[in-house]
Amino acid sequence: MRHMLSAAVLAAVCAAPVAAEDFKWAGTTDPQTMDPHAVNSAPVLGFLNNVYEGLVRRGQDMSIEPALATSWEPIGDGEGWRFHLREGVTFHDGNTFDAEDVLFSYERASNEVSDTRSWFAPVSEVKMVDSKTVDILTKAPNPIFPDSIANWMIVDKGWAEANNAALPDKENGNYATLNANGTGAFMVTEREPGLRTQLKPFDGWWDDATHNITVAEFTPIQNPATAVAALLSGEVDMINPVPIQDAARLQGQDGVQVIQGIEARVIMLGFAQESDVLKYGADAGKPNPFKDARVREAVSKAVNVDAILKTIMRGNAEPASQLVSPAMRGYSSANMDRPAYDVDGAKALLMEAGYADGFSFGLKCPNNRYLNDEAVCQAVTAMLAKVGIDAQLDAMPVSNYWPELRADNFDMYLLGWSPGTFDAEHPIRFLAHTPNSEKKLGSWNFGGYSNAKIDEMLPMIQSEIDDGKRQMMLDESAAILQAETAYVPMYVQPLVWGTRDNVTLTQRPDNFFILRWVNVQ
Amino acid sequence: MSDQTSTAPQSRLAKALDSDFFYNFRRSPVAVVSFVAVMLLVLSSAFAPLIAPYDPFDPGSLDLMNGFTAPMAPNDFTGDVFWLGTDDQGRDVFSTILYGMRVSLFVGFAAVSFAMVLGITLGLVAGYVGGWVETIIMRAADVQLTFPAILVAMLIFGIAKGVIPIQHHDQMAIWVLIVAIGLSDWVQFARVVRGATLVEKDKEYVQAARMIGRGRGIIMLRHILPNVLSPVLVIATISLALAIIAEATLSFLGVGAPPTQPSLGTLIRIGQGYLFSGEWWIILFPSVTLLALALSVNLLGDWLRDALNPRLQ
Repeated sequence: MRHMLSAAVLAAVCAAPVAAEDFKWAGTTDPQTMDPHAVNSAPVLGFLNNVYEGLVRRGQDMSIEPALATSWEPIGDGEGWRFHLREGVTFHDGNTFDAEDVLFSYERASNEVSDTRSWFAPVSEVKMVDSKTVDILTKAPNPIFPDSIANWMIVDKGWAEANNAALPDKENGNYATLNANGTGAFMVTEREPGLRTQLKPFDGWWDDATHNITVAEFTPIQNPATAVAALLSGEVDMINPVPIQDAARLQGQDGVQVIQGIEARVIMLGFAQESDVLKYGADAGKPNPFKDARVREAVSKAVNVDAILKTIMRGNAEPASQLVSPAMRGYSSANMDRPAYDVDGAKALLMEAGYADGFSFGLKCPNNRYLNDEAVCQAVTAMLAKVGIDAQLDAMPVSNYWPELRADNFDMYLLGWSPGTFDAEHPIRFLAHTPNSEKKLGSWNFGGYSNAKIDEMLPMIQSEIDDGKRQMMLDESAAILQAETAYVPMYVQPLVWGTRDNVTLTQRPDNFFILRWVNVQ
Repeated sequence: MSDQTSTAPQSRLAKALDSDFFYNFRRSPVAVVSFVAVMLLVLSSAFAPLIAPYDPFDPGSLDLMNGFTAPMAPNDFTGDVFWLGTDDQGRDVFSTILYGMRVSLFVGFAAVSFAMVLGITLGLVAGYVGGWVETIIMRAADVQLTFPAILVAMLIFGIAKGVIPIQHHDQMAIWVLIVAIGLSDWVQFARVVRGATLVEKDKEYVQAARMIGRGRGIIMLRHILPNVLSPVLVIATISLALAIIAEATLSFLGVGAPPTQPSLGTLIRIGQGYLFSGEWWIILFPSVTLLALALSVNLLGDWLRDALNPRLQ
């Protein structure tokens, strides 16, 4: 009885009309932390883009525009970049923003305990010229550097030091994990991890507010059907994502609208390539077959991407041949074909590699990170079984998933990658370069793929100013990654958001939901 | 002649058919119908490999292109027809229900047996030995009764997940489920057995056994236990229905049977994701099966309780 009563009360609360400017939204993944330098993942960076700001930011069309820096220019002959900082900017707690904070945020974000340090691989030094001017020196000429730091968010030095959060702590957390003090349009006013996060507009924001929100609240809802029900009932004003299977039906419903686009995210399979032995399944402890490129190629042939797209993705996604989608700068048109689905070819390759009888291994998969991720992994398991290799699927929530991958607890895994810079160089730096903590490279290359030619080309790609020559190198990298099946890119994930139809907003292809473009009628 | 037939020993079956119990059973339509339903479900899941047209636990036999096929309608791509349709992975829903019911029933029976053995042992000891042993056992039972069973099961499940190395999770998941549900369910048995033992232990036959010097263990097992079993039977039947539901709940919450070996609860969880998109068959058929199974076991238990209650005769 008590349960029924509380359920009734809950229903009544949910059904109560919300004030027009009260904006509630829901997503599958709660941002793990409020610390902009602790975890380099889209749910965290996307959320914190509302709270913190970088020197530059991305506009509605993804173009780079001034934020905490009003202008920037190259120094000398490709030595680096000079940023002129905005005057009169204050943090949410009232502290003034100046060059000290930029220097501090560089040290903090590039520290080895920070997940964002790969962003600063090209940087040799950051110097304060005066309190409103900063020079960022690069090891080699870096024409796209300002494009690459839109997610590098500036933290207040005084606030972080006073609260004992001078460095991020992604494992245990610290003050900055639960609290935020940015310069952005919104302040975090309440934070209950996994339950709700409340934001309110920051009155002292330097830019003109284009939204009409007075209070915004984010609730993670893990179950997609529950999220759809919440949107239909008006309990929330926006959900991200709409389960693909529900998009068509939602479109026809009164009161809601579906906003659809192609995300910059490529979903792929990765392999443990460094480990000498398999870690899971019946063959745990035996030599690792994935060190052999033929076995990896067999996997890519065995996966029927078309079938996944037609059924699980319901025709809403595009197949992927490389680590970036065709919409990204530097996409290699020369390598646009992915290996055809070919069961016999896969079996032949396995036989050639000495695995005619197949083998058993562990496949790690998140179950609340990407669209239908667990269903895709189950389908992959079934497809691999057809060529005789037995994948033991272990699906888990994303909060356990990244630590497992970082601890190398996998034989094969699922990964989605959206290049923060919208450039093909980005995944090479993070996923393809040999992991190198000192050089801040390959930080998401969990499997330890390594190729000397790729490592050699990356700095050349980064410093090449001539577009044609740069593209040639990107083409060559894409060809190498494809030939060696470093990863098995499967498809470009669609972007499907649902809103109440009194909401207008902007959907950016990086799947960042920016509150300052939201208007509620 | 007639004397001889009446004194001749009846066969066991004939004896059973002639009993009050069977007469009572035949006279109760609810009991007959639910018994038939239970037998039908149990047998069809026991012989699932013979009945089911597909083996849903063999990933190599699945064709993803068969995914989301409606019942009795040919698939758009492959043209295959499935009685009750397919789920998101192209698994035949009918076969999966049969195999899934095996998991549900196995977990249910095993968990109840586990709870029964544990509960009877503790109840007997508490009732017969008394003193501080009784206090400890029964207070532990009281404490556990203050927690919802499903919460206790989830707690045990969580601990087991932490203790067992991750590569054994899939193989161990079913056993962990059994232990988790069993451990959350022993209290009922212990309480009833203790109560009955308290009544029995001062009766003459027990005193006689004590007098001739039989040990405590023998007295408890050989003399008291047979006399406290009939309420246990009733509780066991009703617990079975509850255990099946508990297993479905845990699997529905995603902490039970692994997705590659779906039980009815896992199937319902998978189906729930497609409630709004029109694929109603993925959730409906497993739900109806679970309902039929739990309801018929429960009705049978209810009837058994009345039939075994001498005061209602």
